[in-house]
Amino acid sequence: MKQIKLKINGKQYDLLVNNHEMLSSVIREKVGLTGTKVGCDQGSCGACTVLVNKEPVLSCITPALRFDNAEITTIEAIAKDGELHELQEKFVEKGAIQCGFCTPGMVMTSLSLVPTLKKEDGVESIIHQIKDGLSGNLCRCTGYKKIIEAVAEYALEKHGLKPVSEKGKSNYKTISGAVGVGRPYIEAEKKVKGSADYADDIVSKNALHCKFLRSIYPHAKIENIDLTEALKLEGVHYIATGKELPIKFGVLPISQDETAMAVEKVRYIGEIVAAVAADSEDIAAEACKLIKVQYKRIKEFLQIDDSLNDVGENEKIHEYGKFNNNIHKKAELRFGDQQQGLLDADVTSKMSFEFEGINHGFTEPHAATAFWDENGLTITTATQVPHYLHRALAKVMEVPLSRVRVIKPYLGGGFGGKSDPFPHEVIVSHIARKTGRPVRVRLTREEVFLTNHGRHPSKLTVQMGISKDGFMKVLDADVAIDGGAYGSFGVVTSYYNGVLLQAPYKLDNFGFRTYRVYTNKPQCGAMRGHGAVNTRFAVESMIDELANKIKMDPCELRMKNFLDSNTLTVGHYRITSNGSRESLQKVMEQSEWKKRYGKLKTGHGLGVGCGFFISGSALPIIWNELPQSVVHLKLDFDGRVLITSGASDIGQGSDTMLAIIVSEVLGLGMDKLFVLAADTLITPVDFGSYSSRVTFMAGNAAKDAAENLKKEIIDAIIKVKEISAEELNFADSRVFSNDKKVDLSWLEVVDILTAKRGAVSVSGKYISPKLGGDFKGSGAGLSPSYTFGAVVAEVDVDTETGQVKILNVWGAHDCGKALNPLAVEGQLEGSWHMGIGQAMSEQMKYYNGLLVNNNFLDYKIPTTLDTPPIHANIIETNDPEGPFGAKEAGEGAIHPVLPAIANAVFNAVGVRITKLPISAEDVLNQIKANKLSKEKSLA
Amino acid sequence: MIAEKLYLKAESLEQAIYEANGHPDSFRYIAGGTDVIVNKFQGNDESTYLIDISGIKELKNVVTAENHIEIGSLVTLDDLQKHKIIADNFPILLEAAHSVASPMIRKTATLGGNLLCENRCSFYNQTEWWREAVGYCLKCEGDICIATGGKKNCFSKFVADTAVALISLNASIEIFENNTTSIIPLESIYTGDGVSPRNFNKTSIIKSIHIPTNNGYKGVYKKLRQRESLEFSSLTTSVTIDKLGEIRIALGGVDPKPILIVGTIKDDLQSLITKAVKKARIVDNDVYSREYRKEMISVYLNRSFKELGK
Repeated sequence: MKQIKLKINGKQYDLLVNNHEMLSSVIREKVGLTGTKVGCDQGSCGACTVLVNKEPVLSCITPALRFDNAEITTIEAIAKDGELHELQEKFVEKGAIQCGFCTPGMVMTSLSLVPTLKKEDGVESIIHQIKDGLSGNLCRCTGYKKIIEAVAEYALEKHGLKPVSEKGKSNYKTISGAVGVGRPYIEAEKKVKGSADYADDIVSKNALHCKFLRSIYPHAKIENIDLTEALKLEGVHYIATGKELPIKFGVLPISQDETAMAVEKVRYIGEIVAAVAADSEDIAAEACKLIKVQYKRIKEFLQIDDSLNDVGENEKIHEYGKFNNNIHKKAELRFGDQQQGLLDADVTSKMSFEFEGINHGFTEPHAATAFWDENGLTITTATQVPHYLHRALAKVMEVPLSRVRVIKPYLGGGFGGKSDPFPHEVIVSHIARKTGRPVRVRLTREEVFLTNHGRHPSKLTVQMGISKDGFMKVLDADVAIDGGAYGSFGVVTSYYNGVLLQAPYKLDNFGFRTYRVYTNKPQCGAMRGHGAVNTRFAVESMIDELANKIKMDPCELRMKNFLDSNTLTVGHYRITSNGSRESLQKVMEQSEWKKRYGKLKTGHGLGVGCGFFISGSALPIIWNELPQSVVHLKLDFDGRVLITSGASDIGQGSDTMLAIIVSEVLGLGMDKLFVLAADTLITPVDFGSYSSRVTFMAGNAAKDAAENLKKEIIDAIIKVKEISAEELNFADSRVFSNDKKVDLSWLEVVDILTAKRGAVSVSGKYISPKLGGDFKGSGAGLSPSYTFGAVVAEVDVDTETGQVKILNVWGAHDCGKALNPLAVEGQLEGSWHMGIGQAMSEQMKYYNGLLVNNNFLDYKIPTTLDTPPIHANIIETNDPEGPFGAKEAGEGAIHPVLPAIANAVFNAVGVRITKLPISAEDVLNQIKANKLSKEKSLA
Repeated sequence: MIAEKLYLKAESLEQAIYEANGHPDSFRYIAGGTDVIVNKFQGNDESTYLIDISGIKELKNVVTAENHIEIGSLVTLDDLQKHKIIADNFPILLEAAHSVASPMIRKTATLGGNLLCENRCSFYNQTEWWREAVGYCLKCEGDICIATGGKKNCFSKFVADTAVALISLNASIEIFENNTTSIIPLESIYTGDGVSPRNFNKTSIIKSIHIPTNNGYKGVYKKLRQRESLEFSSLTTSVTIDKLGEIRIALGGVDPKPILIVGTIKDDLQSLITKAVKKARIVDNDVYSREYRKEMISVYLNRSFKELGK
């Protein structure tokens, strides 16, 4: 320990610092300024950026002792006297903040960057310099577009290249109206100031710190665990092993196959074997090293093909399951007559595809704190599904549901990666009970990757046939997905890989077969675009191939085959609103498709893809008769409407969405609304943020609740005023009749409502209509509504290196109605950015079951410089059942972008992409092979 | 108990070296520290005494001498661009510096530190737990190279991008050790042994980098990587031609040491390229395959010559 003086945000601190302590730790843990985030412990994500003597420094990899007597500025000091800095205002105004976890680092980096920009070369150059300067700050939500817009506008104003926007004119604070008006998230200011608390920012007095010992073998029996030496270490309070927590859990009732720690055997490298709670993280980590585990190895299964084979005794990864192999789930559905379809087709094609696993890459690592008191267990954790975690914890802890409280604080991105109950959440709950103290845990980035639950690696073969005039006759998909060691959402994923192919095109003869296998690798689960991204890629690639074969424009072919609105698919999905045609039309126009497609020089190409996704699963995961979402509203004397909802805002803006809907129904200003969400003690059940369900379901519940409150208000008014219900209008925070016979301010309304009654609480709910056919498997993919979209991508392919560069992405997505267009654009841009990552550079690489690229340097999320211009278009079709016509916008948009890029590569150099990520080497080899065969045929 | 850790922010070269000599088994110098600290987190660096030399002012100057410039080893990668003489004479050095890591890392990382950047391999740059799980490789006291399956040689990649540019510019380094300074060609400190890639006294410190100014170098620098930022090299090439027609081809990312091929414009360029390709001992320890990187050496060098008008 050494004493240093630091002047942090103008305040002098004398601090005792560990000799090798990083600056981020001092700022966060010792000084308590948690606006500075730690996302990677490697200097690869930029979230930890602070200014030291006005220069930016990555505080997570810089020793604090370097800076004795230095002046440190953190995000907390950027807003002055309660007023945001101009740059912060731009971030808010432009919608540059979604989950907000990267925001403090982005702001700090930008603040130091802007004064260094060289303005001589004009606006284009400034924007490039901004992209370059931010290329060490990763964002997973926004696709950077709105961030760059925010920084650019601030920079151009600062450098006198753009008139300063008039305060009050473009200022987000004066936005009026609700549905359809773009606005920043209600919590955006808090996030941009660094004062929004995420799971690891919340301090608990007297807490213990938890670290895990993880398996070094993919498949092995645990023969013995010796804790003797570890327990002797001073500061160690508790060491838990698997046998203490034998009850299995899992997000799906049919795949309750995971324990908090390995009990008898380990099933993947990285599985938790023991957990240490100690006075500090360092001590807990040291103790983990002193635990001695004896393993006896069992044959491991690392590839899909290995797991399809019959296995020897005791080699099954899980004992349960019908087959003598490691197949977890087989799903198969067939509609129409595929044999006949093949006969009817003039042209058929059969192709195989391979996809690597993909990780969500959210910037906030998992973190949780649990404690027990007279109310039972309370856990504050980074989760997308407080409700399912609530159930899982009650089950594993063996306490009644009424003794568990799950709180979701601000959450730094999920994308499906925080939508299961997790071992670390169970373990800290358990140790907190055993020790009687709060227990904290935060995962390292390596542990986040090992926890995974990402997109399944998959191998598939698809057969398609069309008539020569371009009508689809048959589609058949054979899919194998690699589930890793546990079930997670895998049964759903298995179905989604097939069923979600039955649209957006009309298909009479359609079938699929899916296998999900267990392998000895970290488990896969749900990730944005769940289950349909890879098969969609295959189908859209094959449409391109078939269009090429019959020499038809691939856009025209798609246009011919789109399903109509208000129709049924072959598998009995009820299609209501459908913006496929409008979406494709839009991106064709923007990309000047007709003028340019097929006319570009070699190496330069355009490609198209379309998409289809659910807007909320119509069936609950756990069968029961609860509504899918309930929202409560409380209105008391002060005139504020409190909205409580179990829905989890994970950065996608659902809290704001709830407020917009209530505001719209009641004609009430946003300043009179307060959202309290995702605390299972206080908020009514919502199933969680997965399957793109929140806007549709929680939104409808909020609308229902607001309408109920409106009824209460009308009833109260007509009792005391001479007026009929039909004459009353709700707008501008007033209730009035057109003739102004009644003209009440909101507080007058509230007085009438609460007189002799007090606070009024109402409830609203959403229950999905009964949908679907009566065959087995008919429930998969049922949704009250579906979304559609299209993307055109433009690429440049270097024919000597095979390197692909994306020049433009034009996207359009039918979200029904954009309740908050700014937020919808942000979701779309983020989706396309994530799709670009999977297409171009992301993959989970394994070596003998060991994840090789478990960090943000080697797992390659596109940086600002790798992200092409993204042109977002919102298509509105006003869904009849969505709240004010709205449907999802967070997941479905991802599907078309990957095949659009691959099809553009085909258009550019004639190379069909059948593996992702696109490998420059494969492209180059294929270019050479094509050249060779052309030469041969010429000869 | 957990071993006690020490940290010193050295005020002078002499103090740093004195402390280093006093703790020969436990010390490690850090300049920017952007790689060392991550290696420490991962347990690849077990030094308990960090001697922070980043505050030594005399190593932060850029000086113009008669026939060369001297760049202090602690000039950060970002600060290089602030010196007009470097920008005017050695744009490829700026390109190389700009291609390292990310903007923020370049504000902390130093030129000297980049030259001494530890070799990398997918099987080595991992946490202690990970390396235990994979079974420790040659570079961390194991007995097998996991990338090749061999037992003799470690082929961890040389990834110091600025060194590649500097070698093509015929740069030397001024080393301070045992109270004496010596000036040696930069390339001579690299051994080609992936386990100990530099024959450089642990207690020595690079004071400055010298680049000859009168050779009239024209150069082309290229780096193969998947993303345009946040990447160590998969292949770095730097080609220069001086006013007398001497060609220097330097490669990084494809061997445990930088590769240097010297020729003249009178030579057959293709045979120089072939020489370079043959010299590179590439193994599969990168996101791009061995074959692809090998092929790209030719493509990059051909393009470089083309850009140089040859």
